Amino acid sequence: MSVTRMQNTVGKSQTMSDRTATASRLEEVVSTPDEFDQVVLQALPMLLDRATGSTKRFLRETGQWNDDIEHEKFALRWGSEYLERFLVCGRTEVPCRPLFLFDSLVAKQHSKPEPFCYHPDLLRPLGRFLDGLAARAVISRDALIALYHHVYGWGPGEVIAVTGLNGLESQRIYKNFRRWRDAGWQRTMDEMGLTKAELAELGSQQQRHRQRFNSEAEQLIRVAQAHYRKSEPNHYPCLSRSQWGEMFTQGYGCDYRIWHLALCLDCMQTAWGLGSNGSAIGEKPRLELQVRP
Amino acid sequence: MGQEEDLELYRSRLLESLNGRSSRYLRDASDPIQVYVNERRVGELEGTGIGAMLRVQCVDHIDTVQLRTEEGTLLGGLVAPEHGFRTDRLRLSFDAIELCVHNTAQGGMLSALFIPAPGFWSRAWKSIAETVDRLVPHRLDAALAYGMRSVAFTQALLAVAVVGLVADRVTTWTWMTPEPTPSPVVQTASLPASPPVETARLGQQLDEVARIQAKIGEALASQQNGIVQLHQAVAKLSSTQESVVSSVVMVKEEVKEELEKRLEAVGREADRTTRHVASKGRVEQEQLEAAIHSLTADNDRLSKEVAGLEENNQALKTKLQAANASKAVDPNPDRLLARQTDASRQPLQLADSLPGSQQQPFLFWVTFSEGTSQESIDQWVNGMKGHKGAVNEGWQEVRIVPPPVPPDRFLEQIRGEKIVKAARISQ
Repeated sequence: MSVTRMQNTVGKSQTMSDRTATASRLEEVVSTPDEFDQVVLQALPMLLDRATGSTKRFLRETGQWNDDIEHEKFALRWGSEYLERFLVCGRTEVPCRPLFLFDSLVAKQHSKPEPFCYHPDLLRPLGRFLDGLAARAVISRDALIALYHHVYGWGPGEVIAVTGLNGLESQRIYKNFRRWRDAGWQRTMDEMGLTKAELAELGSQQQRHRQRFNSEAEQLIRVAQAHYRKSEPNHYPCLSRSQWGEMFTQGYGCDYRIWHLALCLDCMQTAWGLGSNGSAIGEKPRLELQVRP
Repeated sequence: MGQEEDLELYRSRLLESLNGRSSRYLRDASDPIQVYVNERRVGELEGTGIGAMLRVQCVDHIDTVQLRTEEGTLLGGLVAPEHGFRTDRLRLSFDAIELCVHNTAQGGMLSALFIPAPGFWSRAWKSIAETVDRLVPHRLDAALAYGMRSVAFTQALLAVAVVGLVADRVTTWTWMTPEPTPSPVVQTASLPASPPVETARLGQQLDEVARIQAKIGEALASQQNGIVQLHQAVAKLSSTQESVVSSVVMVKEEVKEELEKRLEAVGREADRTTRHVASKGRVEQEQLEAAIHSLTADNDRLSKEVAGLEENNQALKTKLQAANASKAVDPNPDRLLARQTDASRQPLQLADSLPGSQQQPFLFWVTFSEGTSQESIDQWVNGMKGHKGAVNEGWQEVRIVPPPVPPDRFLEQIRGEKIVKAARISQ
């Protein structure tokens, strides 16, 4: 037993010394992008913990922290986001001291107004699911197009009709759907920390209390969309029906239509029917949340 | 599963995802590349084998640029400084993207250029050059690499040519000799035994090759010198550029200051002029106001006078109308005549502006003898073509056309009339 304890002690001290060595290496100057990659990839766990710690501190200081697993996961998710950006952008900053550069990058993120979409209800499984979809839609066109499916239950053909796209764009929509089904959805669920059990529970809730489930989802997705819509270009504001009509009729603003209508429930109601040359295509769309792709 | 384990699993999954980033770099070549500036999507670059370009002008500074696939995978990016340029070349398998960010006080500008993978021959040439480069015994400065590669490649070609020449000679000798081909050892040994002319020729060629090599060495040295000079020139140019930039900034500042000073001076002058003009204007305005005030007063006075005159006029008109009306209804001819006389007298008073051709009537007063009838009186007055006026204390006013004789004589004549008791001119 005393041998085992000794081994544990040795193991711990070894880990400590490795950690210290990694930290000191991160504090030294790296001169080339390759050297940067090498040093940072060895220190990923440490850097992830560091970014997570900073995010926790930010949440505590802004009165948004609770000691529970949801908040821990939230901090981890954003720590990982910052680390990914650091891995890509940091190598263009050589020569630099990676640790200090990383700290400055995280601090810069936290100095922005509303650096992330925080709402206590968005930390629960349904909220995390919706937050994950909207957050991913900002950086991935596949996820953006998939939002039409997850929010309204539409397939590629309906998306093309509603947004009034032409032939070339239509092909892309089919491709977006396929890639999302193949890998995009699973990756997003993994990155949001949604387990299989949680997803199964969401599906079960949807079956049992469909109306309540959709109503709750609508409230939450409005919060998420309002936050992530800010990531659109500045010239993509909400429009009146006549303005949407003009855009659809004259065939411009393809990106505008795709990006804004996916991220705005109200504008979808406003622009409903314009994509199919003004002919009536049934009732205005209502939120029908789909958990699976 | 406990919460701690769940959290640990999530953490390790995130770490795996971060570690596996490089393996997800593969993308569909036909998909556009999404371009994000300051984490906002600004457009996309076509990645279908043509050199596409995207230019973005921002009002704000550009902090970060990110390139993502349609799936959302982060392909690359850069962090830009607050002021100045930052460029980076991002490799995507064989393709590349050149990013250039320029931040100024007015905002930021991004240009992203997609450089497609080079063709087969270009790649083949590059691989040959790289192979030759590896054969070069020492690595030089990156800037010299291209020159070195060219020289090394030429050397390799020369060596191949020499070997080919030797082989050719050996083959020729072998072909000329009828004996079977000797073993390599024998061949080596038999070389000195070859004809001295050929040996001399070979030696001459080798000398020539050595001379060419020496020339190449010299050329290389001169090229190195040139490159060093080029480096120095580039350094000098960049320092000059910096100084030019700083002087431009200084000049801008000076111009700005000068402009501000001038604007201030112009402002002061304009202010003074404005004050002068304003005071002058005030004086003139006061004078004008006084003039207007006096004009207004005069106008008021005139208006009152006109109103008074109009009132009088109106009253006279009313009287005249009344007189006319009574003329129409009154059966008493005396009263009518009196009224007519009365009414006609008023306009006469007013008619100052009547022409002088109209003579003034001659007015006198008479008393009649007792018992004279009114009829006789009227006949007497009519006989004189006169008009009776008012009667005051027995005296009858009579108007006639001025007599051709003097008034005294006229009065004497009147007094001589049978019915007339007395006559006088004044009342």
